[in-house]
Amino acid sequence: MKRVGPIIALAIIGLLIFVLFKAFGNDPHEVPFLLNGKPAPNFKIKRLDTDQEVTLEQFKGRPIVLNFWATWCGPCKAEHPVLEYAWKKYEKDAVFLGIVFEDNEQNTKRFLAENGWSFPQLFDPKSTVAVDYGVSGVPETYFITKEGIIQGKVAAPFSHPMQIDARMKGILQ
Amino acid sequence: MNSTLGYGLVLLGLGFAAFAAVVGLVTGMTRRENALPWVQRAVYGFAASMILSNLVMVKALLEHDFSVKYVSQVGSKATPTIFTIVSLWSALEGSILFWGAIMGGYLLAFTLTYRKEHGRYMQLSLGVMAAVATFFAFLIAGPANPWGVVANPLSDGPGPNPLLQNHVLMIIHPPMLYLGYVGMTVPFGIAAGALLRGELGDAWLVPLRKWTLVPWLFLSIGIILGSWWAYAVLGWGGYWAWDPVENASFMPWLTATAFVHSTMVLERKKSLKLWTIALALGSFVLTIIGTFMTRSGVFNSVHSFTQSDIGPTFLAFIAVILVFCVLLLTVRGHLLVAESNLETVVSREGSILVNNLVFVALTFTVLLGTLFPLVTEALQDKKISVGEPYFNTMALPLGLLMLFLMGVGPMLPWGKADPKVLRQQFFIPGGLGILTLLPVVVWRYAAWEPLSGGEKTFGGFVSAMRSGDVMAGITFGLGTFVTVVTLREMFLPAQQRMSEAKESFFTAFVSSASRARRRFGGYVVHLGIVAIILAVAASSAYKIAAERTLKVGETLKVGEYGVRFDGLTNGKEPHREWVAANITVTGPGGEEKRHIGADAPRMNYYERSNDPIGSPMVQEMVWRDVYVSLRTYDGKAQTATFNAWVFPLVGWIWYAIPLLVLGTLISLWPQRKTVATLKSEAPAPNAATGTT
Amino acid sequence: MTLALLVSLMLGQGYAPQRQGLDPLEAEKEARVMRLGKQLRCAVCQGVSIADSPASMARAQLDKVRELVSENKSDEEIYAYFIERYGEWVLLQPTTGGLNSVLWLGPLALLGIGLIVIVMQSKKSAVMLPMPQTAAAAEGASPAPTSDDALLAQVRADQEK
Repeated sequence: MKRVGPIIALAIIGLLIFVLFKAFGNDPHEVPFLLNGKPAPNFKIKRLDTDQEVTLEQFKGRPIVLNFWATWCGPCKAEHPVLEYAWKKYEKDAVFLGIVFEDNEQNTKRFLAENGWSFPQLFDPKSTVAVDYGVSGVPETYFITKEGIIQGKVAAPFSHPMQIDARMKGILQ
Repeated sequence: MNSTLGYGLVLLGLGFAAFAAVVGLVTGMTRRENALPWVQRAVYGFAASMILSNLVMVKALLEHDFSVKYVSQVGSKATPTIFTIVSLWSALEGSILFWGAIMGGYLLAFTLTYRKEHGRYMQLSLGVMAAVATFFAFLIAGPANPWGVVANPLSDGPGPNPLLQNHVLMIIHPPMLYLGYVGMTVPFGIAAGALLRGELGDAWLVPLRKWTLVPWLFLSIGIILGSWWAYAVLGWGGYWAWDPVENASFMPWLTATAFVHSTMVLERKKSLKLWTIALALGSFVLTIIGTFMTRSGVFNSVHSFTQSDIGPTFLAFIAVILVFCVLLLTVRGHLLVAESNLETVVSREGSILVNNLVFVALTFTVLLGTLFPLVTEALQDKKISVGEPYFNTMALPLGLLMLFLMGVGPMLPWGKADPKVLRQQFFIPGGLGILTLLPVVVWRYAAWEPLSGGEKTFGGFVSAMRSGDVMAGITFGLGTFVTVVTLREMFLPAQQRMSEAKESFFTAFVSSASRARRRFGGYVVHLGIVAIILAVAASSAYKIAAERTLKVGETLKVGEYGVRFDGLTNGKEPHREWVAANITVTGPGGEEKRHIGADAPRMNYYERSNDPIGSPMVQEMVWRDVYVSLRTYDGKAQTATFNAWVFPLVGWIWYAIPLLVLGTLISLWPQRKTVATLKSEAPAPNAATGTT
Repeated sequence: MTLALLVSLMLGQGYAPQRQGLDPLEAEKEARVMRLGKQLRCAVCQGVSIADSPASMARAQLDKVRELVSENKSDEEIYAYFIERYGEWVLLQPTTGGLNSVLWLGPLALLGIGLIVIVMQSKKSAVMLPMPQTAAAAEGASPAPTSDDALLAQVRADQEK
């Protein structure tokens, strides 16, 4: 006992320090996302401009970029022109969809009218789509292959179109 | 200018601390006791430079000297003066600098108090404390330097974290916690000094006990005020969420509490020496781990500071301290030998031993739960959560066991107990404890409505009882039991004096209490703790919640209270603007209380913060609080969404603070020095210190 | 980092305009919703459950629970829905299997071992009495045998056994 005790204690200390040391690289606020590689959940919500019901299924066969955002979120506003730019670039190859949640229609329409409204914006009134997609903040952008498989999400605003380019490669092939 | 002066003082402090550490430890180990004055002088030097450096920082903050890095981070001309001073500890670098000042204050006070006593331990103990101080001074001088110079200072800064500006409690809560955290350095030094010296005499036990009690009290106050702050500011209606930072302050509190109890056994029975010393060392280690949790950016917490670079430095320090403690206990531990063994578990010392075990088990649970997500991430690359349900599940039975021991312990005699006397003693408190359940059950039955709207039967009531009800019932029963035992222990000696010496109640009470100050103070603290436990049980088991969106004039019912929405107003203060939802709270008797503007639930907007911060309205009453927070509002439609709660007894958590303070002060009050105990360096074996 | 939402929702008030949650279900089912909600971690808050968090995203998640409860899904199925998206992270009360058993059994083991040690001590003491010379050494009353050298002390202690 006299000799084993300290050795056990030192082993526990070693483990403790190891665990704490390993934690340095991690972001404690990061929320895990497990829908990667899984089929994107379907949804049926309306477009803000035409009031038509839109489903995910109707875009099957084309890659999709799905951006969750809200007008009260500063980073989303900053990201808006980047997405507009990327849409112009990839218009022919992929579908861009904005999904507005935790917001109201008037605010969104006003913001879009002022800041550009090129790709379809959908309205998720009760955040059900956001919950189905496992959203953990705004803005978040999902990349979906033409087979309807989620190919990763970016849980941060895009500040430069090149960041989107890198992601597009993954779903365009 | 300020930067140079402040940083120079930090370096000076670092030098003094390092000098004191080296000289203290070296001369202490080689027993050259004539070096003590040098160590003392260096400690004074350290304290003076640290305190002065803090004063310079306060000056820089008040002058809005934005060329100082820290001021440029937290200063703002729009901030009211009081919050400008408070911003000294509102961000990481400043808080560590402030830490340095408190460390200086403690070391100064300790050294001055015992400047002519305890020579045999003093160099070693001061050396250890100074070594810790060296680490913190190094931190301030290097990785967490607040004194950096901004080359092109701006004319204004962002101001401190808005959360910290939101409530007066933020002015006193952090210093209390720091006083608790930093203060644990002193018992650590005392205990490590005893181990290094290889002996622990009765005389050295007095400072060890007293200087643990001081940080213990501050820690208690800090924790309670912190929960009060969360309750009054964060607006979610809770005060404790088992958040990593809360856990960080709770753990050293638990071990220090265990320590306070085990010293009694040490003094009485001359056993548990090593155990008691280990608890003192452990409490300190836990404060350091706690500081790491708050400041490394590794943990997800409401209270934690932003990401920082001091993590690795801190981790290295934790490793060094832990290894030092283990080595010290291994190599020196056998020198502190118990002089008696436990005779039976059913005795005062037995109950204290079990109490210690429960406290340590709870500490371990909290530590394990807090660290476990990191463990799975490191070993299995899997993110998991350990949240409130886990901690509540584990802590509840342990807490109830503690409560039970709190009643049983004082009842048991030292050594073997006579079962017959025990039964007699147990009868009244135990019976009253069980009797408490009766009104609770009757009251609950009266208030209970069958869910499916059927017959109201007692059987249905029993099967519909939630586990929360049962647990609260047990808590009330035990609470009564403990209160009765405690009061009896407090007043029985007085009663005896009254009947034997024919003294008046007052004289008898005062003289019996002052004869056993420490025990008496302990009982006062116990009463405070019972109040807290009962308040926690009642407010969580019997809270009433309601939530609705109201138009102007509509009323939300919450229990017997009504919350009427009277419309929105807004207001402006130098550092913020706010929108308030005026409300009128109607009481059970129809009495109305209006809450307007600054007094109503609000949404605060700070100039340089993107997001509003809410502040709830808390109508505090002795037996219950009505708590209303504003979730959202719509200025155009003039509607507001409220969360409202009625929390029975919740205020007693904070009202218990005076009892804790009073009890601790009674315990700390110096006994009239009985010739032999305090002055002599090596008292005769088995001479008891204190008069428990 | 989607800091804006984190900060705002953690405090319960974003600029997010108000939105009513679904109406509560009938009492028994709603009780189940709240019980399940207590166990699920809100995706945008700081370690708070979706039942406790005032954040509107938490509200949406709680609505999902309501929806699943009204479809008469079992507890396991409801947990599975969230685990599919967020992994075990979403459970505030960790599962009991695998490495997690350390978390659940560790404190119990400590308590158990501690109790055994205490009981053994009290049994043992009936036979053993303290040795006078160790007592003296511990008190420091006899300075002569006390040595600074850790090794020497160790040897001496070993001999005493």
